[in-house]
Order: sequence, then structure tokens, then C-alpha cells
Amino acid sequence: MLKCTINGKEVEVKEGTSIIEAFREHSEDIAHYCWHPGLSVAGVCRLCMVEIEGNPRLQIACNTPVTDGMVVTNQSEMVKDAVKWGLDFHLINHPLDCPICDQAGECGLQDQYMKFGQYDSEMGQAKVKKKKVVDLGEKIVLDTERCILCSRCVRFTEEVSKTNELGIFNRGDHSEIGTYAGKPLNNDYAVNTVDICPVGALTSKDFRFRQRVWFLKDKPSVCTGCSTGCSVDVYYNKEGMWRVKPRHSEVNGYWMCDEGREIYKSTNVMTTDFVGERGSAKAVKKENRLTQAIHINAGDKNYKTATESLNSLKEKLDSYSKAALVVTGQYTSEEYDALLGFWKSQFGTDNVYHWANNEAQFNDFDGLLIRGDKNPNTKGLLQALEKHGITAKKDVTSLSDQDLVVVAGPENQWVYDDIHVIAKALASNKKVIWMSACHVDAAEQAGGHFHFIPTKTFAEKSGTFVNFDGREQSFEAVDLFVDQALSLTEAVALLKGESVELSETNKVISVSNEFVHERGQL
Amino acid sequence: MEVKLLTEHYSDDNYRTLEGYKAKGGYEDLAKAFKMKPEDIISEVKASGLRGRGGAGFPTGVKWGFLPNNGETRYLLCNADEGEPCTFKDRMMMERAPHQLIEGMIISAFAVNSPKSYIYIRGEYVYATRVIEKALKEAYDAGLLGKNIMGSGFDHDMDVYVGAGAYICGEETGMISSLEGKKGQPKLKPPFPAVQGYLKKPTIVNNVETLAAVKYIIRDGAEAYKKHGTEKSTGTKLFSVAGDVNKPGNYEVPLGYPMIDLINNECGGMKNGKKLKAAIPGGTSAPILNAEEVERATLDYECLAEMGSMLGSGSIVIMDETRCMVDMLKVIAHFYHHESCGQCTPCREGTGWLHKLVSGVVNGTAQVSDIDLLCEVANKMKGRTICALSDAAALPVLGIVPKFRDEFQFFIEQGYSKVQGRANA
Repeated sequence: MLKCTINGKEVEVKEGTSIIEAFREHSEDIAHYCWHPGLSVAGVCRLCMVEIEGNPRLQIACNTPVTDGMVVTNQSEMVKDAVKWGLDFHLINHPLDCPICDQAGECGLQDQYMKFGQYDSEMGQAKVKKKKVVDLGEKIVLDTERCILCSRCVRFTEEVSKTNELGIFNRGDHSEIGTYAGKPLNNDYAVNTVDICPVGALTSKDFRFRQRVWFLKDKPSVCTGCSTGCSVDVYYNKEGMWRVKPRHSEVNGYWMCDEGREIYKSTNVMTTDFVGERGSAKAVKKENRLTQAIHINAGDKNYKTATESLNSLKEKLDSYSKAALVVTGQYTSEEYDALLGFWKSQFGTDNVYHWANNEAQFNDFDGLLIRGDKNPNTKGLLQALEKHGITAKKDVTSLSDQDLVVVAGPENQWVYDDIHVIAKALASNKKVIWMSACHVDAAEQAGGHFHFIPTKTFAEKSGTFVNFDGREQSFEAVDLFVDQALSLTEAVALLKGESVELSETNKVISVSNEFVHERGQL
Repeated sequence: MEVKLLTEHYSDDNYRTLEGYKAKGGYEDLAKAFKMKPEDIISEVKASGLRGRGGAGFPTGVKWGFLPNNGETRYLLCNADEGEPCTFKDRMMMERAPHQLIEGMIISAFAVNSPKSYIYIRGEYVYATRVIEKALKEAYDAGLLGKNIMGSGFDHDMDVYVGAGAYICGEETGMISSLEGKKGQPKLKPPFPAVQGYLKKPTIVNNVETLAAVKYIIRDGAEAYKKHGTEKSTGTKLFSVAGDVNKPGNYEVPLGYPMIDLINNECGGMKNGKKLKAAIPGGTSAPILNAEEVERATLDYECLAEMGSMLGSGSIVIMDETRCMVDMLKVIAHFYHHESCGQCTPCREGTGWLHKLVSGVVNGTAQVSDIDLLCEVANKMKGRTICALSDAAALPVLGIVPKFRDEFQFFIEQGYSKVQGRANA
């Protein structure tokens, strides 16, 4: 450990810590743009200037390691002047289009100007004009005028995604970020560049112009896109969920994949016509969110509330002699425990099926975050099965002539390629209870007797996911977006005839959109 | 008076061939060096007080001493990317005496134990490149490069790399980036090139003139070399004189030589008998000296530093009384605006801002308060970036504007140049 003095505070830091890390560790404000904890040091924004005792020149905190006994400050007049001018240099050619900029509210320039700047600009000359709308790829749009050339995105494609699509072209104040010819920014992690962009230069096509960020609240959760289980922040307001951003953790570092960012779409109910790229296989209509229980008997639809539906089922439970349970890896460990426990006592352990979909690809890994197992909690399911002494069967399609089949269906149904096959096969059974957060067109069209019960998505319930290497990650509910939705635990409790505290289910967000003052971190 | 050490045989056209060079005692100093121990060569260079001739004036022997002893491959790079406006000494050295440079480089490489060196030549120097390439071939054919040079057991390979004409590639880490095939942008220091340079290996970067001078330190010994020049600025230096003098050109004089003598004697005095107004002593990035200061200035690192300017690369621009300083600064500001690599914000945005402010004076859109703003912006750009380009852009402003403020004020208020009058405005 090294002892040093930061802004008059005596602190201890680990060897090899840079000054900027020491400042942040001890919650001292320090201006910066180009430095990012997950990327290499570029040292180009020249904002993290500090004064080190015994050194007449200001040094940049990001590239200077702390030495023992170092006395360093960023409160001196010299530093304040350097930061003020550093900001002014950033801003002289930056268009002040904050009112129409998507980054406004979570913009590094705005935040740092309010913290360290607050001066009148002396720039009276015409600003440099550059291209305003540059299409970088399927997911990202660039505004070269807003760009402050911090090179974070370039370093990201170099060091993290290792795809090298981006570069800085030209020199001086006509420098621009751009993609190399014929190499659009379409890698699997591309939207991370939008997250790390400190200004509104890179914006996500999925999110831009949809919401003002100061009307969005955020809560931590865990990504359900695959078995990696990245830590995420879910951004939402009363109109639904709007985006998912990575939250720093040991599991995922600072990043998440673009596929994972789609998970919020299974929950959005109100505002988008389509979720996912229009016309692509992943597109899901907004009506696809299941909002109430539907019973389909020979083509007739019959709507009930989920509670009513389960209550009527409860009365007939004992009359089913042949029953089977089909589970997917998309629910929490707590839900599995409740469901399997109930099933064991009611129907025994023989007829439990694990619907795994693409099991051959479960061990695929792209080397960074994306795994072939597209379920967040396969490990948790296997643990629960073991706990209850159940050996699950795999061939779901062989199920026929059952009196009752209960399916805990997938929440992200677009990753289940075989959903049509399974739904068709199950239609030959006398009664199918399909629990799922989404409509399953395949099942609705399969004929037979399907009963759909809406379940909660990951954002609406709390619980635990066990990721690929056995790490248990608990998360809290973000909010409730569909008042009929039940978790499996609640559904089981209803079937058992227990009284369920459905307070959460009645609390669909209906408050007005509040102004959020603090938004994100640079 | 001129002291022709490096330039002794430059008038001989044959000197650029191996045959002609050997006739004048070429490669004898290399043979002498091979009989010495490498560390003795380094201490000899240290003792000679030789300072980098590219602009910064860092002691060469000390730089060589920074190399770590970690067994990694070391690279020697010759910086021939002579980009400072009005500097043309390296060009002449390469065109007139390529073998002098090659010999100096082999001696230096032997001293720092480097198996490979590159000569990074400015893209515009097409002829110099051809001459160097031809000389390299001659040297390889004669066994002066390659394996076991002159039976010494020392192996060395040398190659030419042609830049694409960016000023910033004359900065040593910018040059290394360019040599690595990347965009020519200076690298963050530390690590310094001596520790982690070309391909992340220990690297020494020296100017053409510095490397050539090593040959003469070995030939005459450090003591004899030190006899030229002053105590702290030893040896001779080539000065490229341009501007309003009768005989512009390259002149080799000992350091410490009075500037006014160089103008009046070697350069044949002011052109058309006009009066001297100002001079830039070390390339456009050096702050300007007015006539009175030129009278007092001696051409060495210390005197010019004391006067608030610098020796730089040794390119002297002489301006007579008809030169408009606003115009001059506009040209300089445009150059640095064009050449900033765009990496560090103060330089990227500042060089453009300076250029716009000075252009505003010429275009008639400026206010008098812009003169102070000009100085303030330049002040805030200074010393806050990775490399010295930001300083190089700021220093001429800080030199010219305070010394010739009246011209700027006049231009802004009257709308035309005080010196050149309405017609040229």
C-alpha cells in the first residue's frame, strides 16, 4: 500500500494505482472524458490535470501512477484554470444542440461544465462544420459535430470487441470518427460504444428520440439473454421499459452484448408497435405481451383474470390422472423450487420434462460474454431438479394423451427455435396450461386446448439466477408492468389454495414520470 | 566565421558516392570506432557535450544512457523528417553526404548495440531518399552493412522509411507510430522511447545532424570537438538561413556565433539594403526576436533561451522592414492548424482557434480585444498536451503579438496593414 495525500486527505492506495483511480476511490471529483476504467489510457482530453507537489508542470492523473508520499491536488488555481480552459477547448466547436440531443441529461459535457466550468465562452468565431447524421451500422448513428474525439469508442473496438471497425480520420479540428470502408459497426457489442460515449455523438437507433433520460428511472437487475448473467440497469418509466445498460460487475466488467439489450422488449407493452428490428425474425409485435389469461378451446377465445383461471383449475386438479410438467431455464430458482415441490406432491416425479431447445450449443462461448445457452438459469433449474430428486426427461415432443400438461414456457421466446414443433406436439394433449410472459402464436394456432397464464418477466419479480459457472445472482423487481402477471411461485400458491399477497400485482406503475436529477456516470 | 566540420567536402559532387567518400577518409572513423568499446563511445559522446540537433537540444550521450539493460532488441531511428518550416539542413546533408550519415549511424548503432536502424525521411524529400537508398546499396555491397561489418563481428541492418509529409511525424513518438504503420500521432509518455519505443522495444531517435556529428567526435575526440562552440553548447551547427538576406542557405558555424555576424558576413547582409526588422532563430515555432535582440543574440542554446526564444532546429528566418507581422502570424497559425494531429483537445481546438483569430484580423472581423484573447488562448495551450506541437503553435503567437502589438491594433482599427499599406491589405 502507498500513502499519499489527495486534496489534503491522507489516503492509502494499492501499488500501481493511477492518480485518477485514487481520486475516484476516495470520491474526489475529477474532470475527465477520455479515461475509462475498462479501456487503455489515451491521455488526450487533458482534463484530469492535477498538481503534484514538487512538479512545476501540471500532470494528467490518468497516466501518472501514485508514488509513496505523493501530495497531489486538483483544487489549486492552476488546475482549475487548466480544467476551465480544457472544457472551453472541448466546447468551442461543439454544437450546443442540447435541446435536440439525445444525450442531454446524461451528457459528460453538460455534467462537467456544471461541475468544473460555469464560464462564458470567449469563442466568437464560426464553429467547424461536420457531418450531422452518419449511419455507422445497423444499430448506431454518429453525429460528428458533437464528437469530442475522446477515442473511447475507437479503443473499445480495438481492445474489447477486437473488431477494429472504428478509427479517427483526418487531422486537427477536422478529425472525425468513422468506420473503415465496407466495415460497418455491426459487431455483437457495438452498442457499448454508445454507453461509453461521453457526449451525444454516438446514439443507439433503438433508443434515440424515444424518451428524455431525465424522465427515466433505473434499477439494477440481471440480464436474461444468456447464461452469463450480466449485471444490468433497467431504465423505465410509466410507459414501460426503454433500454438496458450494463452495470459494472465481476461477471461482465463494464460491458454487455447487443443481444442482451433486447430483453426489455419482452416487457414493453404500451408504446412501441414493434420491438426488435422491423422485418427481422426477432421482431415482436407489442400486443405480444400477455396481459390476461386466455383460454382457447377449439378456436374460441375466452378471457379471464389469471387468478380466476387458476382457481378454476385448482378445483379439477385431482381429476387429472396423467399429467406432465415442461420447464424451461428462464425462471428464477425460487420459482423452480415452488413449482417442482408442488408438482412432486401432486403428481410425483415421473413426468417432468426439461425443454432445453438448443442443448448442443450450450457450451458455445464467443470469448467475451455471449454464451450458447440462451437461458439465464439452466443451472438453477438443474439444481432444483436435483434437490427434489427429479430426473427430467428431454423429449418433450413425445408427450401425448396426457390429461394435463403444464408448461413453464420461455420468456424470450425468440431464442427458442423449436417453439412451433413443441407447441404442435403438445396440442394433442387434452389440456395444456401454458405459462409465459408473451403470446405464443405457434401455440395459439396449433389448435387443441391451450390455457395461457401471463407470468412476470425478469423485471417484475425478484429472485435468483444461477449463471453458467454457478454464481448465484439475486435481483429485485424493477416494477410491475402488467397487473395480471404472476410469478410461478404465486401461481403455485394459488393452485395450492393458499392466500397470495398480490399487493405487487395491483401496483402497476401509474405515477407520472418524475424528473431524475442524477443520471448515470461518465 | 564558418567552421566546416560536417560540411567540409559538401562542394565535392563525388562525395556522395562511396568511392568519393572513401577518398576523403570515409569509414576510417568507423574502423576506429570498432576498435573502441561501445561504452567508451557513449562516454566519449557524453564528454563531447553533443546536444540533439533536431530542436529540443537534449544531450545525446545522456539519451543513449537511458536504454535499459534488459536484453531486448534495440532500435536506432534516424529522424530525417525535417518538417519545421524553413529548415533544410538535413536535406542538404542527405543529398550531399549520405555516407557521412550512414557512417555516423553505424557508429551510434555499435555504441548502443542496435542490430537494426531506420532512416525516416520526410515524404517530400524524394531526391534525398534516392541518394540515401543508393548509398545504402553501395554500403551493403561493400560489406559496410549487414553481417560482420569490417570483420568486427558487429551485425547491422539499415533501412529507409519514407513518411507521408506530416509535420507531426518529426516528433519522435509520432515518428515511431508512423513507422509502426499507424497514424502518425505522438504517444503518451511515459514510457519514453528509450524504454518502450518502436514495436515496444527500447529505441533511440536522433536527428540526421546529431548522428553525423558522432563521426567527428570519434575522429577528433571529445576534447577537440568541445573546442568548437561554447561551454554548454559545444560543437558546430548547421543553420538554414532564409528570408531577406542576399545569400540564403546552409551555413555551418560554431555554436555561440553572433547572429548578426551570420547575417552580415556569411549571408552577405540584408537584401536590397533594407533594414532588419525581426528574425526567427529556430524554426517558426521559436518566438521571434526583434532587430535589437538580434544584435545581441548569439547562436547557442543558452543565450536564445534566456531571450525567451530557442535554438530549435537552427532555421533562421530573416525579415526586413517591409514584412507585415500580422500576415506572418497568419501563415504560421495556418501551418500549425493544418498540422495538428488532433489527438489532444487543447491543440486540436486551440490551433484552429488561433488561426481563426488571426484570420479575423486580416479579414476585418476582429475586435481589439481579440489581441488579448489571442495571447490568452496561446497561453492556455502551452504545456498541456502530449507533445510539443501545441507549444510550437502557441509560442510564435506569444512572441509576435506582444512585440508587434501596434501592427495588430492598426490592422484591426484601420482594416489594412500598417507596414504594407492599403494596396496589399
